[in-house]
Amino acid sequence: MAPRSCALCLKAKSMLKRPKTGQQICRDCFFYVFETEVHNTIIHSKLFNPGDRVAIGASGGKDSTVLAYVMKTLNERYQYGLELFLLSIDEGITGYRDDSLETVKRNQEQYDMPLKILSYGELYGWTMDAIVSQVGRKNNCTFCGVFRRQALDRGAAMLNVDHIVTGHNADDIAETVLMNIMRGDIARLGRCTSICTQGEDTIRRSKPFKYAYEKEIVMYAYFKKLDYFSTECIYSPDAYRGHARAFLKDLEAARPSAIIDIIHSGEAFEIKEEIKATQKVQQTCQRCGYMSSNPLCKACTLLEGLERGMANSGITDRGRRKLDAEGPTPDNLRTIPFFRRPSGGYPAIAVELPS
Amino acid sequence: MSSCENPNVDKDALMPRRQKFDGKTKICVRCKENTGNVVIRYSVYCKTCFFPLVQTRFRKSLEPSINATPDGPRKKALKAVGSLVIGLSGGTCSTAMLDLVAKSYFAPKNEPTGKLKGGKDHPRNSDKGVWKGKAGISYVEVCGAFPGEKDRTEDIRAVVESYSNSNFEFLPLRLEDSFDSNWWKSVGGDLSTSAQSLARLDLHLVNSSSESSPLQALRTYLSSLPTQTAFYSAVQMLVRLLLLHTSASRDASHLLLGTSLTSLSVNLISGIAQGSGYQVTEEGKEEWNPRPEHGMPLRIVRPLRDVGMKECTIWDWWCKLKIVGEPRSLYSGGKNAIGALTRDFIFGLESDYPATVSTVARTCAKLTPKEGSDEICALCERPAQHGVQAWKSRISIRSYQEVSSAVSGNTRPPHLTEEEITNLTKSSLDITPTSDHPFSLTPLLCYACHTLLTSRSSRGLAASLPQGQSTGDVPLPLWVRSSADMAISAHSHESVPLAVKMSRREMEKEISEFLLSDE
Ligand SMILES: [Zn+2]
Ligand SMILES: [Zn+2]
Ligand SMILES: [Zn+2]
Ligand SMILES: [Zn+2]
Repeated sequence: MAPRSCALCLKAKSMLKRPKTGQQICRDCFFYVFETEVHNTIIHSKLFNPGDRVAIGASGGKDSTVLAYVMKTLNERYQYGLELFLLSIDEGITGYRDDSLETVKRNQEQYDMPLKILSYGELYGWTMDAIVSQVGRKNNCTFCGVFRRQALDRGAAMLNVDHIVTGHNADDIAETVLMNIMRGDIARLGRCTSICTQGEDTIRRSKPFKYAYEKEIVMYAYFKKLDYFSTECIYSPDAYRGHARAFLKDLEAARPSAIIDIIHSGEAFEIKEEIKATQKVQQTCQRCGYMSSNPLCKACTLLEGLERGMANSGITDRGRRKLDAEGPTPDNLRTIPFFRRPSGGYPAIAVELPS
Repeated sequence: MSSCENPNVDKDALMPRRQKFDGKTKICVRCKENTGNVVIRYSVYCKTCFFPLVQTRFRKSLEPSINATPDGPRKKALKAVGSLVIGLSGGTCSTAMLDLVAKSYFAPKNEPTGKLKGGKDHPRNSDKGVWKGKAGISYVEVCGAFPGEKDRTEDIRAVVESYSNSNFEFLPLRLEDSFDSNWWKSVGGDLSTSAQSLARLDLHLVNSSSESSPLQALRTYLSSLPTQTAFYSAVQMLVRLLLLHTSASRDASHLLLGTSLTSLSVNLISGIAQGSGYQVTEEGKEEWNPRPEHGMPLRIVRPLRDVGMKECTIWDWWCKLKIVGEPRSLYSGGKNAIGALTRDFIFGLESDYPATVSTVARTCAKLTPKEGSDEICALCERPAQHGVQAWKSRISIRSYQEVSSAVSGNTRPPHLTEEEITNLTKSSLDITPTSDHPFSLTPLLCYACHTLLTSRSSRGLAASLPQGQSTGDVPLPLWVRSSADMAISAHSHESVPLAVKMSRREMEKEISEFLLSDE
């Protein structure tokens, strides 16, 4: 077939078929529409205010690597007036993070953004390797997920930023919508499509790539020659989620708009009022000050289990009762430092500046 | 993102794997006497207890919505304000449903299987029926969409007649009736002369001059659809709308559909995957309003929505019911259609994670559309959201014209000159809408229906029909023509002129008498 001209600029030769729309377009138009769609998302949801300090959750994987690049580009093109930072979490998994953290360090120099790396070891006294050696590979994703979420917030508090942006893409969100329906997780279903979440005590968190297809993120990195590492966790992923992911890929193959159509569906409904009323209210953890739906937050519960040598007891309510039955929490228990929201002013810690 | 982003920390969020039936308990959990014959959701039932179990669930799903005030106290007698229509496809579940309806509400007085009649004080036995008039049993023959597929109308008629119930009336329909003005008139629909020939060219409404039979029109309509997904969804939508309009014309207050718990879950996930999240409540429970003076509000009830497909199969088997069967091509065809993919996925999960099916239905029952809307989609006649086109063009840019506000000056595509981008953002104005067809179908459609008509597959069309003349105009189902006609006439009564760029030919026509020929 003879090369066609780009469906958007009608000038250049089309170089690719856009996964999201199926249009045949040129490389420059692809960059431009990809970036402009992210810009539209940011502007339409009024994500930022001029002067905001924004941390990019950077893992060294494709999503966050492209996110850092695009955020920098848009911040300059449209003069958002943002101060951008890179924030990385080191879970402490030997042979998994080392390379991707190198990518983040290189981004720090290329993009001229300050970087903060916060490790599980530093924050919780436990690396993921140490946790896995205690709990085995069955429940380690529970620990990792809970610890990472808190770690990002705490790292952001240290950088004294107003806002964290993460690289969650459209595929992630569509998959989460399906997962939450199939698991009956009504609380998460209600909030998983919102672009920005903010509890009373937490830092604003948003997903500028909410409508960006995973395939296009890869395509963007490929054509811009951005290098990244696979950040699929080497410890076992969740089998049920694996089914949902495979299903989503089939749907996308049948009709590429399916990903965006699922997100549209998720945005169109909400939880009935009478159901909302029965849900747990947010409080703060009495031990570490982080938001929680129980007196003790999940991270503190998990940590106490680890510290007392009953690691798996933190995972279920039944396990927790068993832990309580073993006696009260010892006084000398290692705990997570108390969480304080940044209150403006200077960073709470010194950050590494790009050399 | 890495796979552990959303940890399933809550106990109830973990999907339990199948617990193997331990085989120890063999005694029926209900009567605690008989040896069990079937295992339903981990419990053993004997044959005697199985029937009331299913019938109770059937009634619980149906009866609270029979009386005009829904969910009222059940002590009151059941009395519907209108007549009843039952949708029968000939498949496992609708066959069981017809049987349950017949035995629960239309059983002759001296029926031998007294056990299924309900108690002595059951309202059915208070002489008069629950619904007014005869119950219509409606079947839509879909073979028009699947060349080579057998016409099953007479087989279904035989099923209906096997009940030899004078209160049952068979109402055979055909998919192509959607394009047949005789059918449309028979259900009380009316159309202005110009609307008779209303068709679409892309998404513009045009007047078609080509005359075609309803069957040809159906085939042109279906072959114009861009994906297999759209093809199968469109067939199901035509079936649904034929049943709705037929019910309204009989002054029905209730239309019963044989959707089991299993198919409800499939429909919910498949609908969400096709962008109809706004209508998620409609899949379970829905009320549809016919055009003014063309019938009363119709409740569409799925009384088997809490009964699994397996229970329906057992019911049919033990009651020795004849299953005519649904056309194979309607369900097992279209392997690459979202409907079939979802079906395979849910069925596959059901064997490993048996709770999934009921969890999906339970979760979706807790949802409600985010904002109210008084708009009704012209194609599916379900509620439609505002602002979906703006949403679509913001999220997937398909032309520079759509984003003209963002692409000027320093923020324009770096590889294009100021002049080039100006031309690109302007030029498409001439194309939509054109002076010949100033009306677009787009604003009359819900998100899912607009997606159905426009969203393409990367694989290209693979519908089972030969591709029609894609350049020509495409006929529309008659209810769409009627809605479009109303929208057009509402528009022309307004004095607001349409912002339509005049073509040179049109300008010439207006000024022709003032132009002097060169000669
Ligand atoms: Zn181009
Ligand atoms: Zn805590
Ligand atoms: Zn029994
Ligand atoms: Zn619609």
